[in-house]
Amino acid sequence: MDGERIRDPPSERAGLLERRVMEKGETTYRIVSKNVSEYHFIVPYDLSEEERAEVGQIFSVRDGSLTYLARVLNIEHSSNYDGHWDTTIKGTNFFDSDQIFNLVIAEPLGCVNEAGEFRKSRTLPTKFSAVKRAERDQFRFLSQVMGDIEVGYLRNGTRLVEEIPVVLHSEAMDHHMGVFATTGMGKSNFMKVFAASCMRLAVRGESKFGLLIVDPHGEYLKGKAAIKGLVHLQRYRDGLACYSTDRQNAADPGVEELAIAESEIFPEDIALLYEWSPPQRDALDAISRIFDPGSWLEEIKTGEGMGRMMQEGFKDSTVSVLVRRIKNELERNKYVKKRSSLANILANLKRGKVVLVDIPRMADRSELFLLSVISRYILDEYKREEDESRKNCLITIEEAQRVLGAGSNTARFESIAREGRKFGVGLCAITQQPKLIDKQLLSQFNTLVVMGLGDRNDRNQLEESAKQDLSSMDIEIQTLEKGEAVISTLNIPFPVPARIHRYEDYLRRLEKEPSDKSIPKGGFKPFLE
Amino acid sequence: MGEERRLSMVAEIIRDHIHLEGIDQYLKSTGIKESDFVPIKPADFSGEIFAVDGSNAALCGWMTARVNLIRAGYAVYRGREWQSTAITFDDLFLADPLLCQSNFDPYLEHYFGLKGIDLQESDLDRLSSYYREMQEYLAINDALDHASPGDIILYDGSFEVFEPLRAVLSVIFHRASNREVALLAVSKSSSLSWGQEITLPFVQHTALAGSQLCPGQAWCISLKDKNLAAGQGGWGGQSYVVRFCGQTILAFRVDAPAYLSRDMEGISAILGNLADHSCSAECMGYPHALFRAHRDIRITEQEATGARERLWARLLEMGIAMGQIRMLMLDYHDILEMKSRF
Repeated sequence: MDGERIRDPPSERAGLLERRVMEKGETTYRIVSKNVSEYHFIVPYDLSEEERAEVGQIFSVRDGSLTYLARVLNIEHSSNYDGHWDTTIKGTNFFDSDQIFNLVIAEPLGCVNEAGEFRKSRTLPTKFSAVKRAERDQFRFLSQVMGDIEVGYLRNGTRLVEEIPVVLHSEAMDHHMGVFATTGMGKSNFMKVFAASCMRLAVRGESKFGLLIVDPHGEYLKGKAAIKGLVHLQRYRDGLACYSTDRQNAADPGVEELAIAESEIFPEDIALLYEWSPPQRDALDAISRIFDPGSWLEEIKTGEGMGRMMQEGFKDSTVSVLVRRIKNELERNKYVKKRSSLANILANLKRGKVVLVDIPRMADRSELFLLSVISRYILDEYKREEDESRKNCLITIEEAQRVLGAGSNTARFESIAREGRKFGVGLCAITQQPKLIDKQLLSQFNTLVVMGLGDRNDRNQLEESAKQDLSSMDIEIQTLEKGEAVISTLNIPFPVPARIHRYEDYLRRLEKEPSDKSIPKGGFKPFLE
Repeated sequence: MGEERRLSMVAEIIRDHIHLEGIDQYLKSTGIKESDFVPIKPADFSGEIFAVDGSNAALCGWMTARVNLIRAGYAVYRGREWQSTAITFDDLFLADPLLCQSNFDPYLEHYFGLKGIDLQESDLDRLSSYYREMQEYLAINDALDHASPGDIILYDGSFEVFEPLRAVLSVIFHRASNREVALLAVSKSSSLSWGQEITLPFVQHTALAGSQLCPGQAWCISLKDKNLAAGQGGWGGQSYVVRFCGQTILAFRVDAPAYLSRDMEGISAILGNLADHSCSAECMGYPHALFRAHRDIRITEQEATGARERLWARLLEMGIAMGQIRMLMLDYHDILEMKSRF
């Protein structure tokens, strides 16, 4: 269209008629706008159920040597007609179905170059670039950034991409992990799958951390009815050490009856169980100064011990409350004995095993008490020695809002969250109410497994604390189905949609895994000799 | 002008010009009888419908010439399904009376075997219109190449055209007839009129009359031998007023070449095929392919602005300063109106 050409006689042009033909089908699946942080593309409005675009689905945009990936945030009705013109149905129907479409709003994830390297994108695909549902080839790069703890398969919308397993990094576990879901969305299943993968790594000698699970519901050990437990993973059973407060469970070979020695209980363990008045708190703090740390529990219960407290200026009533509560706890927690399982537990964790502490039917307060004692013991031990062969440790806390909530008097868990990483101790917080967890603590969690949260406040809390931007995934998180998750973790460049393996299926798969010569012979002994 | 009485008077005159109070006077004056309204029966049509349209946008101009962006092409439907849209011309046109021959003649000679036309035209807007019309005829010609016997080609406009281009139409009609393709022109606006004392809009009043005489039906009426003020005639065919869809009150002028308008039965059958194609939600009562052609071929304001900017950029590259461009293309009306035409 230059000035010279328009004066030329038409016959001297390349062709008198330069026909350009738009054929049917060219107006679909194209990027139409919008900017570097948000792509808009169109898809036919009348696709079959299988072909429909879904929130969370990842599409790919091929543009030259780059393949852009974008995740669907929302889908809107739209058309090429202005205003509300396309809402005026008269006569029979619209003839031009190609002019009516769904507008897909997608968040760019990044782009993959021809060498299969992924990077964040600072530009946008050419307008009208063709868009298609991302398939395994476009996700291949993800395999390179996955870790060693398999938990599920990549999910694209509701479709599985079975060729791409979602695999967490062991290295990220001392940066803490959070598992968030409302009841029935699959938290326990996730933890069992996670534990099974850890057991596998332990047996193969590839484990990089020990996993401690304290199970107050008695569901991890043997499962319930048709639901399998961790002991059912026979092939990697050697990667599991079990301790139980239940006599029947403890009678099984390979399960030790849990015992905590009185000498291993500190006043701080009692402190977190009750609300204390300031004088009572002072009295608690004074215990370690007044008594021998190894025998305080014995001594304080005696008349002489109470007298020593009163000599320190504490009132009779204050000391009485203190002693009564201590006696109650000792009465309630029958596992407090002369002997202890803690050294065994620690040793197994250091060897990278999965340690399951089975405490069925235990009261909430007792569970907290036990968890506090074990966690404190582990942290102290990990702080003490710098053995290079020692594996890191991940401590699981069910209903974590009880101990990580804003204003809770559980400084122990807070200190693990804040400084545990320095010593190789991470927390795995499981909760259905992340909104109750302290925001600053939550921001220390670098791996988030989000499995469907209906409460807006829960989602907001996570979005504000997550290392990766989850705010755009609000609709997706809201619409996650049972077993589906969005996983945000270090080393994987964007929050990954996943379908967590059903534990029973995963167990069957692991049992059938071809034997590996690298698995050490002789198995695992649950108890220290 | 501001007086209410004067405004009321003008409103009365307007009412007299557009309002139809009863149809007796209309029937008597135009010579149209109730029986002239021939119902059209919508029929399934398996052939293809081609709809030809064009568009032009002025990009810039000075006192002696003007540059327009002109586009022509056609949309193709099979039944209610859009098949394709072909753009046969999409280029700049320099409207300069002295370049008429070199602009028009090569096309006319190559495609229609004509030895050129003598436009004798110095009005720049009209020159652009002629060029656009010629490109639309070339689009019809191209559609004829791709049409099969029995297909329909619709032209957006009228065949009542400027005399120098009638020779072109004559060639097109001949080709269409030979290829057994129905070629019709559908006008969205028509200056056909009736009335002795004042000029009354014929198509609109015919639509109102048709609504009373054939309610809820599609119909057509031949204008042959009717008493109305038509154009110059002599273009080689017959005009009709057609309501394509019984659910609307809108009617359109339709021009059919002589080879189609020999009998009412034949044209009714073709219009029946179109009636089934004129009931879309997008443009009920209007042949849908023409609606699509209009949307696909039109030059939007943004496109015109983009093309203009690119043209300015080329001029600047050639060393002509923006101030010079403005001065040379200035129409002093721009100063008075405080806005640029382009």
